[in-house]
Amino acid sequence: MASGAVEHEPNMGTYIAIWAGFLAIVGIEVFITYRHPETKHLLFILLILAAIEAFVGLLYFMHMKYERKILFWTIVPITIFVLFMLDHVWADAYRLLYLRLTP
Amino acid sequence: MSESELTMAAAGHGAAMEESPYGMQSKKLAMWLFIASDAVTFTVALVAYGFLRIGSPDWTRPFQFWPSIANGLIMTFVLLSSSLTMLVAVRAAKSGDKHKSVQWIGFTILLGIIFAGLHLREWFHMFADGWGLFKNPTGGSADFGAAFFSVTGLHLLHVISGVVALAVIAWGYNRGRLDANHVETTSLYWHFVDIVWMFVFPLMYLMNAQ
Repeated sequence: MASGAVEHEPNMGTYIAIWAGFLAIVGIEVFITYRHPETKHLLFILLILAAIEAFVGLLYFMHMKYERKILFWTIVPITIFVLFMLDHVWADAYRLLYLRLTP
Repeated sequence: MSESELTMAAAGHGAAMEESPYGMQSKKLAMWLFIASDAVTFTVALVAYGFLRIGSPDWTRPFQFWPSIANGLIMTFVLLSSSLTMLVAVRAAKSGDKHKSVQWIGFTILLGIIFAGLHLREWFHMFADGWGLFKNPTGGSADFGAAFFSVTGLHLLHVISGVVALAVIAWGYNRGRLDANHVETTSLYWHFVDIVWMFVFPLMYLMNAQ
């Protein structure tokens, strides 16, 4: 990440390579799905691949790599902290277990 | 602080303004903050889907490769390609090529409309097959419909909103009322919607493939 303001951005070749990489990852996801692994293993693999895509997209497509570091450190860790607490620690994380729509 | 700003502040003609520590316009920072909050919304929706799924012993996995997964793959291709066209539009706007930028925003809008059309077509096929927000024609958990239509509906709403926003930005930019920074800021939203789909497709479609 750049320490100053926007310094330079990648050329279109880089963007096209990332786009092709994303398509390849989606192809891998479908391939793995039809190998019929155990559900928890499939979930783990799909989440890892999606997180890789999201991180690369954030850095390059959304240009976070070329913004000041303070933007990354302001947005990303805090968002991840809130998501973790919301989904695993704070009380609402358990509420859905008692809100089943079907008996 | 620049000399002119200091002079203005000393003369009482305006507040002394420091440069943003983020080195960007406030509208772009606001978009980043909105994206962070929206990421929380989508994550909570997907985690709620996870809770429903784990809590339903008769969870349904209805999607066959043809047409559901294949349709999802085409939608993924279309949305990913729209991010690429948006990148071209932003580059053109930054280099001052207004005509090219508006043209590529137009391509992005077109791809967004195609994505929404494919999505709605899939929904209507599912409705015709008996699926609904609380209906499961296979006899399994009705929570599937609730989770699927809620999460994909939330994403579809974002895509449609993005198409409208892009159209407004293109119109304003073309008429000279908006500038390249508006195009770049709106592109952040569009790329975010694309990134969210990178989670929605595997979790809502592939995890429910037969």
